[in-house]
Amino acid sequence: MDGQAAVTLTGVTKKFGEEVTAVDDVDLEIRDGEFFSLLGPSGCGKTTTLRMIAGLEFPTDGSVQIFGEEMGLRPPNKRPVNTVFQSYALFPHMNVEQNVGFGLRMQKVEPSEIARRVAEAIDLVRLSGMEKRAPNALSGGQQQRVALARALVNRPKVLLLDEPLGALDLKLRQTMQLELKDIQHEVGITFVYVTHDQEEALTMSDRIAVMNEGKLAQVGMPEEIYGSPVSLFVAGFVGDMFFLPGEVAEAGAVRLAGGQIVRAKTSSSPGTAVTLTLRPEMIHLYASSSELPPDRNTLDGTIARKIFYGDSMFYEVDVGVVGSFDVRVENAPSMRRWEVGDSVVIDFHPESATALAE
Amino acid sequence: MTILDEREGSRETAVNPKLERRARRRDAWRGFFHAAPAFLYLTLFFTLPLIIVFVFSFASRGRTGRPLLEAWNIDSWTRLFEPLVRTIAVRSFWLAVLNTALCLLVGYPFAYWIATRRKQATRNILLVAVLIPFWSNFLVRTYAWRMLLDSDGYITQFGEMTGLWGRLLFTVPAVFLGLLYGYLPFMVLPLYAAIERLDWSLVEAGRDLYASGAAAFRRITLPLSRPGIIAGSILVFIPSLGAYVTPDILGGAKTTLLGNYIVTQFGAARNWPFGSSISGAILIVMLAVTVFYFRSGGRTL
Repeated sequence: MDGQAAVTLTGVTKKFGEEVTAVDDVDLEIRDGEFFSLLGPSGCGKTTTLRMIAGLEFPTDGSVQIFGEEMGLRPPNKRPVNTVFQSYALFPHMNVEQNVGFGLRMQKVEPSEIARRVAEAIDLVRLSGMEKRAPNALSGGQQQRVALARALVNRPKVLLLDEPLGALDLKLRQTMQLELKDIQHEVGITFVYVTHDQEEALTMSDRIAVMNEGKLAQVGMPEEIYGSPVSLFVAGFVGDMFFLPGEVAEAGAVRLAGGQIVRAKTSSSPGTAVTLTLRPEMIHLYASSSELPPDRNTLDGTIARKIFYGDSMFYEVDVGVVGSFDVRVENAPSMRRWEVGDSVVIDFHPESATALAE
Repeated sequence: MTILDEREGSRETAVNPKLERRARRRDAWRGFFHAAPAFLYLTLFFTLPLIIVFVFSFASRGRTGRPLLEAWNIDSWTRLFEPLVRTIAVRSFWLAVLNTALCLLVGYPFAYWIATRRKQATRNILLVAVLIPFWSNFLVRTYAWRMLLDSDGYITQFGEMTGLWGRLLFTVPAVFLGLLYGYLPFMVLPLYAAIERLDWSLVEAGRDLYASGAAAFRRITLPLSRPGIIAGSILVFIPSLGAYVTPDILGGAKTTLLGNYIVTQFGAARNWPFGSSISGAILIVMLAVTVFYFRSGGRTL
């Protein structure tokens, strides 16, 4: 990653008709060699953004640059990018080999060169031996690989992927996630990856842009997005999160609905209504606060429910007006068991709690 | 196990193989009753006459022209190989081929245009517009064309005014104008169906893979709309091959085509066996063409 911009979006806006603004004034810089994800719920404008980079859609306003070159209204066939489509869009009237070679044929590459590179690409996605198969004779995962090979064979400067794993089952999706990441390492080109699956974005990306209603909500590395969300939307969309209503009591302290004062990261001034966000894995259960060092946040609660999950126990802890917490405790021999009705203390580190204003 | 009474099959289990078989048979009969009216009608007025035509093609022609079934032979079939018949057949064939090509050339861009309208309502209106000619009788419409193409018709007058053409009625172009007019909807509809269900992300993928608009059309849109092209071509080719009304009314029956040749056999020439054998031969050819269509991957018409 030498920091050079692969794709630069400046003030990019896309309107469909008068009413619908799919993408609203987006500024974004995707660096060379980066695995960059556009993450957001359906209809947030992530796919439209990708399509504008591909040239399948033109922005209503703004500028799209690829390696410093203004794309303007340049058609997709004249852009140095290739796309892996959501439904793969494999040509049904061509076999695997013909599908993969299509882009090179269109670019009038020498036939011997085409044959060599097609074989190479098919080998890269581990589909050797399937060259003569028709796309509809392949499994979902294999089709996905053909789509990938068909794009990569052209050695694009940027590879655009539109929810490429969306149609695969969970197990295959996880395998393909790793494989995609490996392939990206191997070919070393910039990947722009559109997904609505936050876990997928977190595990694969170098950086993530979270989008909501056509706007960028947050851009950053997975750890930042997960650990320090800048808005309630990002906090709620990425990972599981507890939301506790309250107000800022003083700098670095929040008063919860039950009157308890806990310490948390906050940038709002005292008196502001905030929502305290807390990751479930940051919560631990103890019998009493005396078991804990003094600098911790604690809340008193009662076990309302317990469910056995095999590898873990699930407890629902009732903390009165503050709310109830779902806590998962891994089953280890040393782990303490609780029964319904037991009084417990919920513990979380001040650093793991962030107070966000509306 | 005791043998179960059929009506009390539920004594041990609610359903047994015997009852299940009966239920299935009842179902089959019910299905047949639904189809029965059409089935009977087609048997009586389509299959039976067809068989009669086929049988008569083996009859011999009596001195007065009466077909004699008892003196059967295959003379009418061997006559099909006479040079005159061949000339007429070839002429009809080329007429049908040319008309099919014309319909395809005119119909494809039009069907493509309809199918690519964004709103479903717009597409429906345009499709209805394609079907409007069917609201009046084909013969009436052909006579309307005759008036347009005659000496004092608007089209002829316009041609004379601009000096581009003269009276068109009873010329070859007039026949093609009429045929194109008559059969264009049969080309447009299947083409529309094929283009409309095309997966446009495939075209986008083509554009993304460096195909120009024209290349994407040639490599992706065109091959994928092939079922529509074949279906439309068959729907136009088959009736064009036996076209009778249009060449007769607009062409002035100056050139003999298969259609009017058959009519002559049954009428003026009083040679039913020969008319029957020509009809049978055309039917066989059309059947072959249709089978070819389904073999070449065509789907619903």
